[in-house]
Amino acid sequence: MSEDLKEEMKKLKEQVTNLQDQLRGVIDTERKKRGGVYIDIGNAVQGYVEDEIQAVAEGVHGELEKSVFIGPRGVRIFRRRAPDREEDEHKVSLADVAKVMNALGHEHRLKILDGLMSGGKYINELQEQLSEITTSTLSSHLNVLEEAGLVVQEKARGRYLITMPGRTAYRMATKAGERVRQDDKECHTHCCDSDESDAEQV
Amino acid sequence: MWKDYELDSIISKIAEPLVLWQTEKGLVKIDKDALAVAAKLGDRKEGYVFHGKAKLLLDTIVETEEGAIGKSIEREVNEPFIMLRNTEKIHEHLSEANSEDLKRMGYENPQGFEARAGEVFHRFFKRGHTHDCQCSGERGGSIFAFQNKTGRFDILVLDGSKLVYKATDMVFIADGRKVVLKSPEQLVVSTDRKLVSIAKSCCPPAP
Repeated sequence: MSEDLKEEMKKLKEQVTNLQDQLRGVIDTERKKRGGVYIDIGNAVQGYVEDEIQAVAEGVHGELEKSVFIGPRGVRIFRRRAPDREEDEHKVSLADVAKVMNALGHEHRLKILDGLMSGGKYINELQEQLSEITTSTLSSHLNVLEEAGLVVQEKARGRYLITMPGRTAYRMATKAGERVRQDDKECHTHCCDSDESDAEQV
Repeated sequence: MWKDYELDSIISKIAEPLVLWQTEKGLVKIDKDALAVAAKLGDRKEGYVFHGKAKLLLDTIVETEEGAIGKSIEREVNEPFIMLRNTEKIHEHLSEANSEDLKRMGYENPQGFEARAGEVFHRFFKRGHTHDCQCSGERGGSIFAFQNKTGRFDILVLDGSKLVYKATDMVFIADGRKVVLKSPEQLVVSTDRKLVSIAKSCCPPAP
């Protein structure tokens, strides 16, 4: 957590302590006036407010972590999206997202999508490309892809086609894969360099 | 011209499962024992009203460089439907229907089926689904009219590789390499796999 944030939290805590003292004074006065059972609301309030401050501070820290990405290529700051866009994102069914991610989460299914990127194919053509799996396994993979809306089958001809979302999803998945591999490579090079320099120092 | 059409008095049945139309885009087939009555224009049989178990399969899918759009329609047709034109060879697959065949389809007597078929036939024409030129000339092609849940007709017009399908919520037109798909969400026009898509309910653009 940054120094500025710590300073800010310290100030807030001081303000809370002052408020708590004032509140305690008011309660004591009331107690003297009325008598009866005394409840230490001050401590309860302090604990509650401290928890809230902590939560806010953690939230800010989390946001910073989400927005600032420190990778081998340096620091990147991602701009916050407009509120209406954010609302639209929340409307997306997470179940649908999970369905798409599940469909993409298998090497053979990615191979099927890759095969369909060049045009529609019949099951026997796909089978030739994926000779390592049985026809029934291929069919079940195609069902998963169809369920997720990434592939559509022409019922009359039996041909399978990749859909527009399918193309987008496949491109995103391969881009992510490429990116991870690139970052790994760069990280590996960087780590090796550090090891070598450490060794030299020793 | 439609006023000149009249339904035949002979009620037939499909003697064996029959494919009424089939191309790489889809098919219409009808099961054995379905009832049929011819629609005549003078002495010529220009169409039929069928009632039995039928199936419509139609790929209303647009294949583009950006991916496929649309869906495959697979529909069981259990209500009476109409087929016009290109019905010359159908009579070869028909035999005379008897009272058992009528009862199987829920009709007490021939008049019951005649009345139902007549009602569907005249409702289709009265709503102006067809123009005289489409039904009377020497042009090839067929027209199918299937009743949908709203009581209206989903219409399939076929002429060689050309195809038009009009349903309640969509229009699909295929003419060789040109394909048009209109749905409540979007209008898609594709020529040689090149795509123009107009979304009807667009989202605000990303900042």
